[in-house]
Amino acid sequence: MSVLSSKTFTRILGAELDKLMTLPLIWHTLISTFMVNIILAAAYTTSSLHAEAGTQNILNIGLASMGYVQAGFIIIGIVAVCSEYTGGQIRTTLTTIPWRGWQLTAKYVALAIVTIPAALIIAATGVLYPYIMMRDTASVAIEINTLIATLIGATGYLTLTTLLSAALGSLIRRTTPVLVTLVSYYFIVGPLMRDALPSIKNYFPDTAGYYMYMVPYANEINALTSVQGTGIVMVWTLILIIIAIVFYRKRDA
Amino acid sequence: MLTINNLVKHRGNQEILSGISFTAKPGRVTGFLGPNGAGKSSTLRILLGLDRATSGSALIDGKPFADLQHPLATVGALLDGSGAHRMRTGRAHLRWIARAAGLSRARVEEVLDIVGLTHAAGKRVGSYSLGMGRRLGMAAALLGDPAILVLDEPVNGLDPQGIRWIRTLIRERAQSGHTVLLSSHLMGELAETVDDVVIMNRGKIVADGTLEEVIGHYSTLEEAFFAMTSEHTGDVV
Amino acid sequence: MRAFNAELSKLLSLPGIWLALVIGALAPAVVAALDSIVEKADIVAGISTRLSDIGYIGLGFGVQGVIIIGVLAVSSEYVTESSEAGGGQQITTSLTVVASRLQFLLAKACAVIVISVLLCIVTIMTTVLATQLILGEHAPEFEWTRLIGAVCYWTFTALLAFGITLLTKNGMIPLTVLIINSSVVSFSFLLTKATKLAFYLPDRAGMDMFMSERYLTPVTGGLVMLAWVVVILIIAAIEFHRRDVAA
Repeated sequence: MSVLSSKTFTRILGAELDKLMTLPLIWHTLISTFMVNIILAAAYTTSSLHAEAGTQNILNIGLASMGYVQAGFIIIGIVAVCSEYTGGQIRTTLTTIPWRGWQLTAKYVALAIVTIPAALIIAATGVLYPYIMMRDTASVAIEINTLIATLIGATGYLTLTTLLSAALGSLIRRTTPVLVTLVSYYFIVGPLMRDALPSIKNYFPDTAGYYMYMVPYANEINALTSVQGTGIVMVWTLILIIIAIVFYRKRDA
Repeated sequence: MLTINNLVKHRGNQEILSGISFTAKPGRVTGFLGPNGAGKSSTLRILLGLDRATSGSALIDGKPFADLQHPLATVGALLDGSGAHRMRTGRAHLRWIARAAGLSRARVEEVLDIVGLTHAAGKRVGSYSLGMGRRLGMAAALLGDPAILVLDEPVNGLDPQGIRWIRTLIRERAQSGHTVLLSSHLMGELAETVDDVVIMNRGKIVADGTLEEVIGHYSTLEEAFFAMTSEHTGDVV
Repeated sequence: MRAFNAELSKLLSLPGIWLALVIGALAPAVVAALDSIVEKADIVAGISTRLSDIGYIGLGFGVQGVIIIGVLAVSSEYVTESSEAGGGQQITTSLTVVASRLQFLLAKACAVIVISVLLCIVTIMTTVLATQLILGEHAPEFEWTRLIGAVCYWTFTALLAFGITLLTKNGMIPLTVLIINSSVVSFSFLLTKATKLAFYLPDRAGMDMFMSERYLTPVTGGLVMLAWVVVILIIAAIEFHRRDVAA
């Protein structure tokens, strides 16, 4: 990747942000994810209110919906990248911005800029809802430090998952196969692997990512710390991004 | 000035381009002809840095496309389709391009006006007709007011007014010293517009010269084209 | 019949369908194999409570293949991804070739059914093979009635995916929701914890056709799922009949 002036990079980043913002599907997905998250948070809160009061950690109730919410972020990552291949937009992109490595990097940065606040808002509402509803029951005192750490972890996990999906999207380029691969992995293969291969499950992006935001149960063996979890997911994401950029630069558009 | 020099492109075992060379000079309109599958689009895609050449070079003012400092202000390109995502509005499409090239939003409104799309700029590209899609593509090509235009089938799907508008625009561009490379299947249209002609067939150049030179002893450009391309494909009408 | 042949060849010429067929034929076998490995010790010791569901687990969780088939059968008509042509959608061509929209839908649905049934039969073979390879003599006997239930479940699932995609026109949402719902963390499974009514959701009811841990009888379950399929297909057909092609 040749040197590029920071002014040019800012322009490319601006263009990539424009592209994301003017794509209705991105907004529809974000709004739907937000709504589904609230509905799920309400469902989990209600069911745990019926259960023995106070035994559940509010943070874990609030983040129980994360498993579903990540699907929305996977879609956003895929749409951001694969939309280039609809209507031949990729040709316009590359004749406007022929510096492919920088262009794709700018796209990932733009995606992170959109994802981080969205993920934070969604994670925060997920935690806030049970907090408000369960204020009156016992043991609701959450330590503010734990709360912040958990929210940062959840935001980080959703952002990294979005970027990982986007990187895989750049490699495969077609929406349906990427979507099938990722959703099947995160929802079917991943959970199965956790049961079948407990010794190596911590090295995969879904289980490692889980420890970024979930407070492990005290008696859980082989638990990762949130820093270890973050590290593993980050390595996966970075490797996929680097492979994506290398291929993107080499191949015919 | 566009310089194509001994360009070769392989895709799998197929040789799509087998060593083609030609130039498109400033102040002239160069017509780029050939039957479907002759390799025109591949040549244009390599010229615009979309595909990689197996060997040889395609240079713009002596540089490969990726080395241009201001690509949009140097080359305006119109390839097939609109080049826009169907869910975006025409205006939003032009705005991100303008943003990437550091151009103002006012310039977007200017080109929308030039191509006659102002009334449809707020509609999604997916609802455009074929001709409107081509107009949007032209708007993107003209956005940076480039000295070189590379147009693949610009009149495809355009109404008579649109065809005349493109013809006039191309002539004006060439007269003010710009370079235009124009690919088309419409022989009659080309014969009225171009100064130089390059004809491709099966990945090779079969004719290259001024319009008069290429027509030679044939009565029209169309006659010359069929004589040069049909003996290989065997579909003489 | 000609429309049906056309739809069949349209489907089989999609690369995505071949991916779906491979996933459909192998995923249940892999799930069954993993499940057999986990349960093997218990089964050999004779204390497994899930012996009768071994293998069927795979057929229950492995429906992603037919979901993809149902979704792609519709979404491929609308999507123009990576196409060089300017925004042309296949649906326009399809509807000028087969003028009657109802006939077009019927032909397409029949193609989906035929592919799903064939796929499920292949899958049953790979799944039975997988359990027998791992469990050997301990592998459970597979009963015909339950296997027919599984074939119905797969076919109905494909038709549900087909109908829902017809309504949304975009394949991403139905694909995501249905695949998640086919997993161990399915929405409908969650809902069954909240209300007994959730046992009448199509996937829950459908699974009762062949799983031993059931709420409805196999026949009732099958009828409930069939009712869902019919209702959704009718709504989709009415909506499809009413709307403009370009919309």
